[in-house]
Amino acid sequence: MKKAVAFMMCLALSASMLTGCGGDSKTSASDLPAAKTEAKEGEPAWKDDTDPITLDWYVNYSWYGSWWDEGEFSQYMESKTGVKINFIVPSGSESEKMNTMIAGNTLPDVITLEAADPLVKQMVDAGLLYPLNDLADKYDPYFYEVTSEQTMSWFAQADGKTYGYPNASISPEQYDELTKINIYQTFNVKNDYYEALGCPDMSTPENFLNALQAAEDMYGDQIEGFIPIALHDFSDTGNYSLDRYLMDYLGIPKTIDGKLYDRREDENYQTWLKTFRKANEMGLIASNVFTDSRQQVEEEIAQGRVFSLLYQNCDFTAEQQMLYDEDPNSAYIAIQGPNSGNDPALEGSGIGGWTVTCITKNCKDPERAIEFMTYWISKEGTQDAMYGEEGKSCVVDEDGTPHYTEEYQELYDSDYDAFNRLTGMDPLWMLGDPVSANNWAPDPQPFLEQMYKWGVDYVVSGSQYSNLDPDSGTEESEIKQDIDLLWGSTLPKLITAASDEEFDAILSDFFEQRDSLGWEKLLSYQQTKYEENLKKLGIEE
Amino acid sequence: MKGKKSDLWARIKKQKFLLMMVIPGIIWLLVFCYFPMYGCQIAFQNYRITDALGTSEWVGLKWFTKLFNDRSFSEIMKNTLGISLLKLVFGFTAPIIFALFLNEIKNIRFKRVVQTLSYLPHFLSWVVLGGIMITWLSDTGVIVKILNAVGLLDEGVNLLASPQYFWGIAVISDIWKELGWGAIIYLAAISGIDPTLYEAAEIDGAKRMQRLWYITLPEITSTIAILFILQVGGIMGSNFDQIFVLHNSLNDSASNVIDMFVYKIGIGNGSYSYATAIGLFRSVISLVLLVVANKVTEKLEGSSLF
Amino acid sequence: MNTKKLKKIKTFDVVNALVMIVICFCMVYPVWYVIVNSLSEGTEVLKGGIYWWPRKFCIKNYTAVFESSEIFTAFGITILKTVIGTVTSVFFTAMVAYGLSKTYLVGRKIFMMLGVITMFFSGGLIPYFLVIKSLGMLDSFWVYIIPSLFSFYNAIIFMTFFRNIPAELEESAKIDGTNDFVIFLRIILPVSTPVIATIALFNGVGQWNDYFTGVIYITNKQYLVPIQTFLYKVISESSSTRITANMPASVRSSMVTSTTVKYATMVVTTFPIVCVYPFLQKYFVQGIMVGSVKG
Repeated sequence: MKKAVAFMMCLALSASMLTGCGGDSKTSASDLPAAKTEAKEGEPAWKDDTDPITLDWYVNYSWYGSWWDEGEFSQYMESKTGVKINFIVPSGSESEKMNTMIAGNTLPDVITLEAADPLVKQMVDAGLLYPLNDLADKYDPYFYEVTSEQTMSWFAQADGKTYGYPNASISPEQYDELTKINIYQTFNVKNDYYEALGCPDMSTPENFLNALQAAEDMYGDQIEGFIPIALHDFSDTGNYSLDRYLMDYLGIPKTIDGKLYDRREDENYQTWLKTFRKANEMGLIASNVFTDSRQQVEEEIAQGRVFSLLYQNCDFTAEQQMLYDEDPNSAYIAIQGPNSGNDPALEGSGIGGWTVTCITKNCKDPERAIEFMTYWISKEGTQDAMYGEEGKSCVVDEDGTPHYTEEYQELYDSDYDAFNRLTGMDPLWMLGDPVSANNWAPDPQPFLEQMYKWGVDYVVSGSQYSNLDPDSGTEESEIKQDIDLLWGSTLPKLITAASDEEFDAILSDFFEQRDSLGWEKLLSYQQTKYEENLKKLGIEE
Repeated sequence: MKGKKSDLWARIKKQKFLLMMVIPGIIWLLVFCYFPMYGCQIAFQNYRITDALGTSEWVGLKWFTKLFNDRSFSEIMKNTLGISLLKLVFGFTAPIIFALFLNEIKNIRFKRVVQTLSYLPHFLSWVVLGGIMITWLSDTGVIVKILNAVGLLDEGVNLLASPQYFWGIAVISDIWKELGWGAIIYLAAISGIDPTLYEAAEIDGAKRMQRLWYITLPEITSTIAILFILQVGGIMGSNFDQIFVLHNSLNDSASNVIDMFVYKIGIGNGSYSYATAIGLFRSVISLVLLVVANKVTEKLEGSSLF
Repeated sequence: MNTKKLKKIKTFDVVNALVMIVICFCMVYPVWYVIVNSLSEGTEVLKGGIYWWPRKFCIKNYTAVFESSEIFTAFGITILKTVIGTVTSVFFTAMVAYGLSKTYLVGRKIFMMLGVITMFFSGGLIPYFLVIKSLGMLDSFWVYIIPSLFSFYNAIIFMTFFRNIPAELEESAKIDGTNDFVIFLRIILPVSTPVIATIALFNGVGQWNDYFTGVIYITNKQYLVPIQTFLYKVISESSSTRITANMPASVRSSMVTSTTVKYATMVVTTFPIVCVYPFLQKYFVQGIMVGSVKG
């Protein structure tokens, strides 16, 4: 009898739950609550309502931390708009937190997540997000004044509406407005070792191997655990250094006659992969390179054990600074690395952006949320977030460029962290006018400048190649996943192969398996997507 | 028929207090374990996170077929079972032996100190420990240096970069971490043994090893048997945290276990359905193994779970 | 003859003690390694080779961990949930296990089967989350207590111990007409201290180390987050930079690194729970149960 009671309890529970998580139906602009304040033509609406309100804002990165309540800049934004932000951050596993919030319908007011995250589309399909267009039409038409039309249409979903606005997204028409560009993927060598070797050329396979061998001969016995060349960590799906970075360095084209293809088929690329194989055979690739996590790689850099590395320079700035402070000559510099005769084609800022910020259907006040977004994306909001209050921390040039006051600039240069704790500036990156944000950014510190600027001439805009991944849950996405994992297990085998013949056998085996997994299908999907991109962006190729 | 029914009723009535103690546990199981199990249906569906449970498209056994046809299926089964069996043979017996010999220490204070110290590694998380192990097992690491010096290993070998050492490393580091912790339960069982048994044995002139073999060990067999059954049921699982930190691209052929495989699928695509299907497959095998182990120990030892 | 035997025993003792000392060294050394490294300057640790004593002693790693005041609330929550969670779970699990240990219990086979299945089958995170949500336990302290109230694994261990309790012990009480619950409270629990101590230890350590509950089920009430969740980010991968980012650049560049902060965090979070064991230990030492049977 008691069992029956328990069972009934469970049934009751299930009934309440099933009704609890039914998918919302889509709303149109007319279903939105009436506007509290009338938007005026050509005027940002946030000025009409500055009553205090708190927005719960989820940022899908466990490492994110902010100083909203203490930072001078964020407090200035709050006093101006009345909007207080309560940032929510997942402790640990981002995807699990996000998934449970979606499934349990407990999403907060605003969320920021990776622009390419397949969850964005899924949330749109399930009707969990407000279309920004509808909100803007109803409450704040000024939104269209501050956002880029190209960006809006790029991020539009199948229904033509945009559900999230990106940061760091530079549309092709904005690209020429950029005045400052940094490049993060470079081939770096430790300057003092490099000079001791007589600054050899490292751009052809032969010279590359010779230089590594020379470095090994000179330092191998002297420095314990010397690493002639370091790479990114090997992941389940490959290795950034040997995949994208190397391909870009060699300037391997992304399309042939307007058709996408597998860049791994390129002969120059294969020649260089074989060069790395040869380096491994010669004992120039330490086994650590295959086993280290990123943290270990960065520690080895700090220990001065690494001669050269193909790595994103923005990820070892702390180590670089350490070396530089000890002796500027012992830090890393970027040089011309692996080359195939073509110019490197390094990927610059594209329209793809980094994150998108969305307003959820759970938002307690969508009107204030969209108004706040408008404010932040506008030049005014961007300036407030980056430079704070004019007259206090910020002075504006005649041409409209903001600068820090002397006092703030001094703190910025001498102690960046103290500066951040005072102003709360660094974590305010989720929105803003991308061009202004880029052009107003302060110059890189001296120990980073050479690396950041080395590749500037080789930067190409790659907007049309972003967003080619199939949606999750489709057959194509399964194919892509299978092939990625296959490559992840093939790549280390290629590098550790005993001979070029073995290398060729492994590689042709890879291509064979790739085809049987459904490569053609994936490719034709991506080709369609790519052509759509071209059309969207108005590029002729 | 009626008699039987009233008989049952009478038994229930007689045991009402016992039942009242058990039923809350069963209710708890139903709410927190059985009720969520309706989620298992997604193993047969194409579930997306935004779907309300139960509304996804049915795909039959698609995910199971995909698993069995995967090119690495035999490899992950081999690795999972290989590591688990080694852990069963060595990892299961080590704490028992340790507990038996620790019990033979006469000095109480020394015994307590040993026991306290031995369980310390249990508290180091695998993330931290893994970082240390990667350093120590690399070609310039302490452990490799020591092995070089003793002549057990050629110089310049990175232990974690070679698949042939991986199983051994996984098993040894697991034993090392859990030895003292695993012994706690046996020590508790030993402390429950009737001291008069030892007194009688001493009068009979039994030697140290004899007492250990003929009294202590048989007295704790029921505990050993139960834990053995439970461990057999866990063969299809592996210590994910451990494998995850020690895994790398070079030892992949020896470290790719089921949990690793599920993890790779999870990050790539959030394939909840596929992951659930693999979990379900594993659960079924585990349950079968457990029932078999239970039957076998019941025959051999007379101890059984149910 | 007699002296020979004495000598033999002694060799055994000496060898046994030596082996134990070697084992202890192997167990303690990595912990020691973590401690000395956490007390050294970050850059020195990066250079490696710190094995026995801290190099350039500094406690900055620890001050970095305690930088944020929230850590004290988090410690409080952890202690509270560990104590309450352990007491309730041990009592509840023992109670159910006592009932199940009686072979004559009506429906025992079914109950056991139900329990065993739960050790292997689970519905996954999402449906479980929905259950917790519908029970109103999101952002609530009870999420630490009620879902971990019972553990079938622990119940099995309890049962094996209960079955070894001499039946005479209960029978006399039964004849007096005492009901099963009172027998459990008055007779069974007092003689089961070794197993209670064991399960309490397992449970307490589990509660103490659990970071996942706080990650998933606490969203808006950050003061309910326990220390392990709070510091999980630090321990897992390189995100310790978040803590190091709170420090002035001058200090950060040389004295504190993500590795050393990680070590310090490890020490801070495990030290309290490690200290509990010696207090529980006296309950493992001898057969209290047998004494009471005789008495």
